[in-house]
Amino acid sequence: MRGPMGWIDERLQISPLLRSFVDRKLPRNIGWAHTLGSATILFLIVQIATGIVLTLSYVPSPSAAYESVLYIDQTPFGALVRGIHHWSASLLVVLVALHALRVFVWAAYRYPRELTWVAGALLFFVVLGFAFTGYLLPWDQKAYWATVVGTNIAGSVPFFGRQMVELLRGGPELGAVTLARFYGVHVWLLPALLVPLVAFHFFAVVRQGIAASPRRQPLVAAIPGESRRDAYRREYAAEKEAGRPFWHALMKDAIVSVVLLGGVIVLTLALGAPLEPKANPNATGYAPRPEWYFLSLFQMLWYVKGPFESLLIFGIFLIGGLVFTMVPFIDRSRERLPQRRPVAMTLAGVVVVGVVGLTVIGAISSPAGVAIVPPVEGMTAQQLEGLKVFNASGCTSCHEIRGIGGTSGPDLSRAGHRWAEDAIRTQIVTPKDDEMPAFDSLTPQQLDDLVTFLFSMK
Amino acid sequence: MTEQGGNEELSRRTFFLRVLTGIGAAFTAAVAIPVIGFGTTPFWRSKAPISLLSHAVTPALRSSGWATAGKLADFKVGEPRLITLTRDVVDGWVKGQEKVACFVLRTGDSDAIAFDHHCTHLGCPLAWSGGAKRFLCPCHGGAFDATGKVVAGPPPRPMLTYATRIESGEIMVGSLEEGV
Repeated sequence: MRGPMGWIDERLQISPLLRSFVDRKLPRNIGWAHTLGSATILFLIVQIATGIVLTLSYVPSPSAAYESVLYIDQTPFGALVRGIHHWSASLLVVLVALHALRVFVWAAYRYPRELTWVAGALLFFVVLGFAFTGYLLPWDQKAYWATVVGTNIAGSVPFFGRQMVELLRGGPELGAVTLARFYGVHVWLLPALLVPLVAFHFFAVVRQGIAASPRRQPLVAAIPGESRRDAYRREYAAEKEAGRPFWHALMKDAIVSVVLLGGVIVLTLALGAPLEPKANPNATGYAPRPEWYFLSLFQMLWYVKGPFESLLIFGIFLIGGLVFTMVPFIDRSRERLPQRRPVAMTLAGVVVVGVVGLTVIGAISSPAGVAIVPPVEGMTAQQLEGLKVFNASGCTSCHEIRGIGGTSGPDLSRAGHRWAEDAIRTQIVTPKDDEMPAFDSLTPQQLDDLVTFLFSMK
Repeated sequence: MTEQGGNEELSRRTFFLRVLTGIGAAFTAAVAIPVIGFGTTPFWRSKAPISLLSHAVTPALRSSGWATAGKLADFKVGEPRLITLTRDVVDGWVKGQEKVACFVLRTGDSDAIAFDHHCTHLGCPLAWSGGAKRFLCPCHGGAFDATGKVVAGPPPRPMLTYATRIESGEIMVGSLEEGV
C-alpha cells in the first residue's frame, strides 16, 4: 500500500485485520439467502444517515411537528431524504423478518450460535420499536390515530394495562409529552440499544463464521457417542476446508443491497413520502389504519373478542416474544434439515401464513368510512328509496354492494339470491349474531323499502 | 518473606478491586435510579382508571372546567350532534385553550348527555349515522345506540360521558366521568 492510505496503515496496522476478515474461509454454499443480513446492516446505516439529517429540521411538538415536516418536504432533497427514510423503514421490517425466517428454517441458531440468535431477536424488536415510534413523528392523521389505537392495544395487556398506556404516552393522554417521548425513544433510546446489539450480533457472526447450509449427507461421518461440540467442530472444519473465502460472497451482498436501494429510491420518486392532513383529535369519520407492518395485529382484533382479546395480546407480546427470543434453547434437537423438522416448519408456516394473510385481508378491506352506493338504471322507485335508506344507515361501513363498502359483513351484491325476503327483514331488525347492530329504529316504510331494495340484488 | 509479600499484594489487590466495585456500583446506582425513575415515571405514577384511559383519549382527558354546548332548545330529542367546545386544557407543559369535540344528545325537556366521541374498544373516532341512529366505529365494527349503549362489535363498555348540567337553558359540559 502506498500514498496516504499506506501512511495511515503504517500507523494503525489495520490491513492484516482487514485481509484476514475478507480472506477468512466460509462454507461453500453461501448464497442469495445470506444477503439479508448484510442488506439489513446497510439499510440501518441508511436510516441513521437520513434520520440524522431529518432531525436538523424537525421539531417534536404538536404545534410545530407537522409544519416542520412540510418544511422538510419543500427543502431541496428534503422530500427525497424523508421518502428514503420512510420506505427504508418498511423495507427493514421485511428484511429482518426474512432474515430471521431464513435462519429459523435452516436452524442456524444451533450450537454455537445461540447468542447470535438472541441478539438478532432483540434487534427485531428494536426495529419494530423504531417503526412504531417513527410514524407518530409527522403528526398527521395516520400518525395520530394509529398511535391512539396502538397505545390502547398495549393497554389491553392484563394487570399492567393502565401503566403500559401511561408509560408509552408519557401520561394519560396522547399529546405534547407523547410526541417528545416517542421522538426521544426513536432518536436516542432505540439507537443506543441498536448499536451495541448490532455490534454484538456482527462480532458473533464473524467470530463463529456463517453457519453452513444444512446437508442431507454431512461432510464427515458421525462418530457414535461423540459430543455435540466435537461433532460440530469436525463438521464445520470440513465445511471450511471445502469452502471459499468470504470475498466470494460479497458480490451477492453488494448486488442485493444496490438493487434494494435502487428500489427504495424509485419508490420515493414515484410515490413520494406519504403525508396525510395534520392530526385532528376531533375528527369523526376518519378510519384509522396502522402502517402495513402492524396491520395483521389490527385486523386480528376483528376475530377475537372480550376477555380473549387481552389474553391474545398478552400472548403475542410476552409469550410470543419470549418464545421467539429463546428459540435456540427451546429447540434442542441436532437436526437442521427443514424437511426433518416438521413441528418447527409447521409453526413457522402458521405464523407466516397468519401474518401475511391477515395483512392482505386488512389491506383489501376498505376503510370503513361510510361509502355511498350509487343507483343503477332500471331500479324501481321503491328500490331507489331503499337504496337511500341503505346509504343513510351506514350499512356500507360493513357491507359491500357491487364493490362499494366495507368487507367485515357479508357482501350484499346478491342478497336476494342468497336469502329470502323475510330472512333479510329479520336480520335487519333482530340480527341473530352480535356482530351486527339491530336496526330497529327504521320506520315500517323505510324497512319495507330497504328490504325490497336488498331483495332485488340478485 | 516473598510469599508473605505476595499474599499481601494479593489481598491489597483484592481489597482495591472490591472497593472499586463498590464505588462503581454506587456510581451506577446514583445515575441509574434517577435516569430509570424519570424515564418510567408515567408507569409507576399512573392513576387514571383504565376505563377512561385506555379508551377515551386526548384531548378529552385533559380538559377541565365547564363549557357551553349551546341552547338546549336548539337540540332535537334523540338526535346527537357533534359539538366542538373550546376547553381549558393542560397538555404536559402546554396550558391553554383547545377545541374538544363531543356528541351532545338532548334526552328530554331539561336533560342532555355529552358523549366522548371515541370508541371504547381502541379509541377510534365514532361517527353518528342519522339513518341508522347508531354511532359507528370505523375500526372493528363497534356500534352504539343513541344513548351510548353497545349494540354491536367489540367495545367492552358504553360510550364515556361528560358531566353535564343545564344552566339558564344552556347545556354545560364538564369533565369526563369515570366509566362504568
